[in-house]
Amino acid sequence: MPVNIIVCVKQILDPEIPSRDFRVDAEQREAVRGAANLVTNIFCENALETALQLKEKSGGKITVISYGADSTEDALRKALAMKADAAIHILNDGQAHPDPLSVAQVLAAAIRKLGEFDVVMLGRESGDWGVGQTAGLLAEELGVAAVAFVDKVEIGADGLQLKRQTDVGYERVAATMPLVISITNDEHNVPRIPKTRDVMMSFRQPLTKWTLEDLGVNAAEVRAGNHYYAVVDLFIPVQELNCEFVDGDTLEARVEKFAQRIIEVTGSM
Amino acid sequence: MNDVIISLFASAGYDRAAQGVAGAGRRLAADCGAQLHAVIIGAPDAAMKAAVAAVADAVTIADIGDYQTEICLSALTQICKTLAPQAVLLSNDFYSQELAPRLAHRLGGSAVADGLALNLVEGKVRVNRSVYGGKAMATIELQRSPAVVWLRARAFDPAPLRPEATTAIQPATLDLPTRVSTTIIERKVEAGDEARLEDAKVIVSGGRGLGSPEPFNELQKLANILGAQMAASRAACDAGWVPPSWQVGQTGKKVAPGLYLAVAIHGASQHLAGISDAKNIAAINIDKDAPIFKQCRFGIVEDYRKVVPLLIARLNALKK
Amino acid sequence: MMNPELATREVFWNIPHSLVWVMYLMFVASMAVAAYGIYRRVQIWRRGLSAKRFDRPLERLKLLLKHSAAQQRTVREKYAAIFHTFIYTGFIVLALATTVVAIEYDLGLPVMQGRFYLYFQSFIVDVFGVLVLIGVGIALYRRAIVKPRKLVYTDEATLILTAIFLMALTGFLVEGWRIGATDEVWGKWSPFGYLLAQASAAMLSRNAMRAAHFGAWWTHAVLVFGFIAWSPFTKMAHVVFAPLNIYTASLRPTGAALKNLDIEKAMESGAPLGVKSLAQFTWKDLADFDACTECGRCTGVCPAHTVGKELSPRDIILDLQKFMHANPRAAFGLPNGNSSNGNSANGGDQAASRKPQAASEALPIIGALAATSPAALWQCTTCGACMEACPVFIEQMPKIVDMRRFLVMEEADFPDTMADAVTSMETRGHPFKGTQSTRVDWTEGLQVQTMAEAKDAEVLFWVGCGGALIERNQKTVRATAQLLHKAGVKFAILGREEKCTGDPARRIGNEFLFEMLAKENTEKLNHYGVKKIITSCPHCFNTFRNEYPQYGGEYEVFHHSEYLAKLVDEGRLAPLEKNDKKITFHDPCYLGRHNGVFDAPRQLVQIAARNAPIEMAQSRENGFCCGGGGGMSFIDEPKDQRVNQERARQILATGADIVAVGCPFCTTMLEDGINARKGDRDVRVMDVAELLWQAVQDSTTNGANKN
Ligand SMILES: Cc1cc2nc3c(=O)[nH]c(=O)nc-3n(C[C@H](O)[C@H](O)[C@H](O)COP(=O)(O)OP(=O)(O)OC[C@H]3O[C@@H](n4cnc5c(N)ncnc54)[C@H](O)[C@@H]3O)c2cc1C
Ligand code: SF4
Ligand code: SF4
Repeated sequence: MPVNIIVCVKQILDPEIPSRDFRVDAEQREAVRGAANLVTNIFCENALETALQLKEKSGGKITVISYGADSTEDALRKALAMKADAAIHILNDGQAHPDPLSVAQVLAAAIRKLGEFDVVMLGRESGDWGVGQTAGLLAEELGVAAVAFVDKVEIGADGLQLKRQTDVGYERVAATMPLVISITNDEHNVPRIPKTRDVMMSFRQPLTKWTLEDLGVNAAEVRAGNHYYAVVDLFIPVQELNCEFVDGDTLEARVEKFAQRIIEVTGSM
Repeated sequence: MNDVIISLFASAGYDRAAQGVAGAGRRLAADCGAQLHAVIIGAPDAAMKAAVAAVADAVTIADIGDYQTEICLSALTQICKTLAPQAVLLSNDFYSQELAPRLAHRLGGSAVADGLALNLVEGKVRVNRSVYGGKAMATIELQRSPAVVWLRARAFDPAPLRPEATTAIQPATLDLPTRVSTTIIERKVEAGDEARLEDAKVIVSGGRGLGSPEPFNELQKLANILGAQMAASRAACDAGWVPPSWQVGQTGKKVAPGLYLAVAIHGASQHLAGISDAKNIAAINIDKDAPIFKQCRFGIVEDYRKVVPLLIARLNALKK
Repeated sequence: MMNPELATREVFWNIPHSLVWVMYLMFVASMAVAAYGIYRRVQIWRRGLSAKRFDRPLERLKLLLKHSAAQQRTVREKYAAIFHTFIYTGFIVLALATTVVAIEYDLGLPVMQGRFYLYFQSFIVDVFGVLVLIGVGIALYRRAIVKPRKLVYTDEATLILTAIFLMALTGFLVEGWRIGATDEVWGKWSPFGYLLAQASAAMLSRNAMRAAHFGAWWTHAVLVFGFIAWSPFTKMAHVVFAPLNIYTASLRPTGAALKNLDIEKAMESGAPLGVKSLAQFTWKDLADFDACTECGRCTGVCPAHTVGKELSPRDIILDLQKFMHANPRAAFGLPNGNSSNGNSANGGDQAASRKPQAASEALPIIGALAATSPAALWQCTTCGACMEACPVFIEQMPKIVDMRRFLVMEEADFPDTMADAVTSMETRGHPFKGTQSTRVDWTEGLQVQTMAEAKDAEVLFWVGCGGALIERNQKTVRATAQLLHKAGVKFAILGREEKCTGDPARRIGNEFLFEMLAKENTEKLNHYGVKKIITSCPHCFNTFRNEYPQYGGEYEVFHHSEYLAKLVDEGRLAPLEKNDKKITFHDPCYLGRHNGVFDAPRQLVQIAARNAPIEMAQSRENGFCCGGGGGMSFIDEPKDQRVNQERARQILATGADIVAVGCPFCTTMLEDGINARKGDRDVRVMDVAELLWQAVQDSTTNGANKN
């Protein structure tokens, strides 16, 4: 049964940038890129990998969509190199970090424009703002069901059979399509490394480009990207970068402090 | 003013997370002069009913059986629509995270994730949250109402008890869908130590400085108290003290726990490469110059043989 | 006494004139077969890609004299030094003697006369014949009794030795019985033949000896011509191919051994990136296979093999050689059948099947042979010890990297943690995924300027990822910077603008990524007008020196040990306080063997230490890898097969307290290996820069009073 899959990906600032190199622009309420690179959000890559594995078994088609600035093309090329079938770039010429409803509205409009689909896969959250809402909001915009934190997708009797993580273990979910799922990582969906030949080929493949106007969304609202929520402040918390060596007169006193700190840290998790 | 709703799951009981959500809810309710309305999903036991009644102004129970996403979402939406709340607060468990954005959408409100602090500014809810992998903090202002927020619940102080209050506990009247397109067909509970090291929230890790395999038994006791997973440096794995699957580092597992406690681990770069995503690192090491301390939030310079038994005793006491 | 000036002997004595033509026939036939054998191999090589290996004839001739004629490498091994020299020189002398006979008889020039006949043709030839016998004896003893692990034990090898033995023996019988039967007056000039004659005389009559001579002569002839005909089909082919291979050897340092790959062209033509089948090797690679003498030295010195891994450079060469000859056409994607025009007689309907297959359909080699399993290919540290050891200059390591290129670029099939390193190089410009350090952390508290800030920097200090991002090595680069400051060198760094040179990417096999980094880096350096570079890492050093010139990056490059040694020589750094620990020096492969820098780091140790450095048995050209090159520091070796622990063992065996190094990878690898093995002893790994900084610092505190 061929499955028509759509994967939404996001390009983000490399999350591995060392803390000491990390700066924010308080005015723009955005991180400063500096010498760091832009990468595809890891959970989005897990989603694409899951999609690729599903397609290998079921057949079908994978279309990757991304809403972002010009640089987003790189993320889409990488998706093509990983062997997605088609890529669509919706240019974000508005706010760099639009709220998740704006994003979901844009993605939903693009998906409607594409026509039929069976399943949309998204990463559970992004490594920059960690919003964690796009999949849920998109499902509502599209008016279809959704399952979150999925780490395995297989063809089931009457649609898909999903495995998803929970706080205490996991669940298996039988789902009919169309459907939106958010993907989390697990040892089976570690994104593949694209072959160099495919990387080079990806530069020769066509890339569909749409503007907000092409999609029939409320472009002004979406460009402003703050009708759902607005970031009013962004700052780097003052952190004791240095190790606090617990002190005390006796060993017992020091261990007591050490234990207190452990409880503090684990208590708030 | 409209209510502040807190949404709790009966299956979890009135645990530390629920207490935190209630505490946050109570303070927000106080700020906007509203009532705190608790919604319990599932069938709570008597203890939970009593506990929640002791902190909330009203309690609604939506006994909808085992969790099914679409049914639960529909139930919550109906309850919230009737109550027309100012804010809906949830914990940061997987179910709540799954529900929150969709609930916000159905209510015409705005959601935000993983709140660390809540404030009411000019009638709008502002949420502080950590972004960029903990490197920065953002304040988010929710533009639509209700504000649907899932909280890093354990970070919030519990709600004060109101022993003399006589809170009404009511069942919800619901009109639920009979056919849904997603059905949970199997639930599996994994014991804590079955979880993957990569997903562990707390990790206790041992190194070559332990000197032999036996001390790992002590560390296991420590791990049990903390609900932690066990790990090790390559040197300890190589020595055959623990299985190779415990290895953390550049050529081992990459972990991201809330706390990584390194015992008698030196902190070679290859080891550190595996714990760069840990939120907090703490160490017990006899050598104050060990590079592990450079990555630590806190540490103790001492022979682990002296520290670990005392620590086990203290943590046991503190946990009670 | 007869006049020695008249001494000579009759050619073809005892061989009837009517039969001499048989010998000529045999001669011509054996030469023809041998020529065919050689031709056939050369034909196959021509299926390889082009390689420029006939330029600079004078240098090539010099190499040939050193290594083919004088056998400088061959004699590095103690057994080979004896047996190969005996057989090899014996063969030459005997071949010369035969030439003399031919000149005398066939050209009719009287050369086999007089004293020359006595001294050379009789005495020397006799002695060298004995040496051949002794040589074969030693070789057989080594194969049968000593049995070194590095050798391949084939029947062919035994047969060859036996044949040589029999040839020499029958030669002596011919000589001895001729002397005995003719009572030759000059017989004593051939001492061994004479002894045989004497011994035979006790048992045989003259006529019997004459008859025996006749038999021995023909046996000898059959053996010799048979051997000549057979040789090109065996490892004896090295008699021809070794000199050819040495003549066409690479004239560049082994650090420059990797081939360029035209990725764009491969994309256009659809040819595989890297080596998938023999069709992607150059003719020189194919010639390498045929030149192998099976001596096993490469495998003997291979660090991966030494610690018990599968990798065996010798078997890679030999397996590919066998494969090439077993599938001389299919291996190159050519249709089977010996020649495409020859079988047109078979009918036109076969024409379709003879359509040449694309090279990409050539039989794949990776994993198809035991020696070329991906597991083995991922064990190579690219240390180059194999290339250095090979007496016939075969280039094993680049072939391994060629195959890795295919695995990485076409299959994306490589060890996970190596893939992490590659991805990290791609996205962050360094291979150390998960590092907490920034490029400039190490400069804290030092006045180090970046190129963008400094306008008058004479030299760029290229810190390298291993120096900047691995906390341990920050001490080394700090020490280097402090020493440069102290000597008043105006230097600057690139800071956050620095990116990996691409060495690990290239050696792992991602040539595409290497090219991107190379272009980006050379552009940046040229933008700043950089002329001189000091590198802290020998891998960066090698890349700048041997690989960036192709990308338009021509700089004067120094490893920090060289530059610091120069500063000491110029009196700009004067260490006073000497370290009195016992120190040994570990040669980083990419500084030493690959680029020939052996003395500068030793000089620094010498200066910083009270005692002369202890030399390890495996040092300088023969240094043993730390295990970290070729991307190997990004994968976990099985715990009982770690190269760094083997090197640590060698280091600990010297009894040294400090092992001095000059490479960030060596530092981390050796520290790990030594910590695992040292027990309670205190053995430290220190970079030569750290040693020197220690020495210099003490001198300043002392020196302050003197000034
Ligand atoms: C290619 C490569 C890959 C590698 N990959 C990894 C990897 O993935 N993961 C990994 O962990 N390592 C890896 N390593 C190994 C790494 O370099 C270190 O050797 C290793 O991490 C050291 O382990 P350790 O800290 O337990 O031991 P040690 O370095 O021996 O440190 C022991 C520590 O214990 C302390 N100690 C001793 N006695 C006591 C006591 N009584 N009380 C308290 N403290 C005490 C000491 O002060 C010291 O700091 C790799 C190495 C290489 C070369
Ligand atoms: S380069 Fe070194 S590791 Fe690789 S095959 Fe040659 S000797 Fe072995
Ligand atoms: S490749 Fe060279 S060193 Fe290795 S066995 Fe052949 S001849 Fe000897």
